[in-house]
Amino acid sequence: MTESNLAKYRHWASTPLTTKPKYSVVIPAYNEEFRIVPTIGAIASHMCTLDEPWELIVADDGSTDTTVDLVSELDLVNLTLLIADQNGGKGKAVRRGIFASQGEIVLFADADQSTPIEQFGDLLAKVNEGFDVVVGSRAGADADVANKSMSRKIFSFGLQTIVKTLFRIPVADTQCGFKMFTAEAAELLFARQLVDEFSFDLEVLYLARRFGLQTAEVPVTWIDAPGSKVDAAKVAVEFLRDLAVIRTNDLRGRYDADNHVRPTHSSEIAGEGRQAA
Amino acid sequence: MDISVTETPAPTTRSLTLRGRFDAHEAPAFRDALDAAMDNGHHDLAVVLTDVEFVDSTALAELVRGMKRCREAGGDLALVSPSDPVRVILELTKLDAAFTIR
Repeated sequence: MTESNLAKYRHWASTPLTTKPKYSVVIPAYNEEFRIVPTIGAIASHMCTLDEPWELIVADDGSTDTTVDLVSELDLVNLTLLIADQNGGKGKAVRRGIFASQGEIVLFADADQSTPIEQFGDLLAKVNEGFDVVVGSRAGADADVANKSMSRKIFSFGLQTIVKTLFRIPVADTQCGFKMFTAEAAELLFARQLVDEFSFDLEVLYLARRFGLQTAEVPVTWIDAPGSKVDAAKVAVEFLRDLAVIRTNDLRGRYDADNHVRPTHSSEIAGEGRQAA
Repeated sequence: MDISVTETPAPTTRSLTLRGRFDAHEAPAFRDALDAAMDNGHHDLAVVLTDVEFVDSTALAELVRGMKRCREAGGDLALVSPSDPVRVILELTKLDAAFTIR
C-alpha cells in the first residue's frame, strides 16, 4: 500500500470523525461471515483515498452465524454496526442503515462486493450532475457482467420487461445492489418504503418516479459472487407478488405520508440494537 | 484473473504474478499453478499481488494453504507488494502477521 493511502486508512480506522460525513456506505448483512470482512477492507481502502469524511454502516439482519462478532472485532471507529435480533429482510436492513446514516450522499452496497466499490465515483458523478437517485446497472451495453448464471439472466430479463411496461420505471436494472442517494432523497423514499424483502429496490424506484425524483442509471461491472443467496425461481414469485403489493399500497394512499418516522435515538435507529464497532 | 509464473535464478524459487480479482471463481486456477510449481520442486514462492484488486475468503484460504504447503517443504510463500485493498484485507483478517510480506 502506498504510504500516503495507508496513513489515510489508519487515520480513518482509528480517529473518530469530527465533522459530519460527506459519504455514508451502508452494507446490509445476513449471515455474511465468509464475505463481510474482505468487503469491508475493499470499501475502506478505496473510500479513504477520496479525501472526504465518510462513515461505514453494517446493518446486520439477524445473522445467526458469526457476522456480528467478526464486524464488532474489527475495531474501526468510524464503522457502525447495527444489530438486529431477528431476520427482517434486506429492505428493512437497508432502511435501518439509511436512517442511521449521516452523510450527504448515501450508497448501499451488497456484502459480496459483486459490484466493486471502485465504481463509487461513477455514480457520484451523476449525483454531482443533479440526480437524486443513481442506480448501478447490469443492463446497459457498457455494463460488464461476469459469471452470471443463465437462470439469473432469464430472471433479470423477465423482471426488466415487467417493470418497464407495467410500472414505467425508467430503470432497466432495478435489483443491482449498488445504489446511491442524496440524503434528502434517501429520507423521502425510505421513510415511505413498506416492502422489506427482495423487491424493496423496485418499490424505492417506483417511489422515486412517483415523487418526481431525478433517477439515473450507470453501467457497472458486476461479478456474480460465489455463494449468492438469490434463488431465482423463488425470488421471481415473490417479485410478482410484491409488484401487486406496491400497486395496491399506492392505490390505498399508503405512500402519501411517512411510514417510518426517522429515529432520533440510537436504539431506535438500530431497531433492536446498535453498536459502534 | 491472470496468473503468470516466472522463473527466478534460484532453482527452488518461482514467482506467481496475479492480476485482477482473486476470488472463489479464480481459486482453482491459482491452486493448479501453485501445485504445479511445488510438484516441480519449487518450495519458495513469491506471490505478487500488486495488481490484484480484491481477495475474498476463498482466495485467502488458498494463500494460507499454499503457505502451509511451502513451509512443510522447508520453504515459504511470500506475498509481494500487495495492493491497497489487499493489504487492508490482510490486516483486518490479521493474516498480515501470518505471512511474509515484502
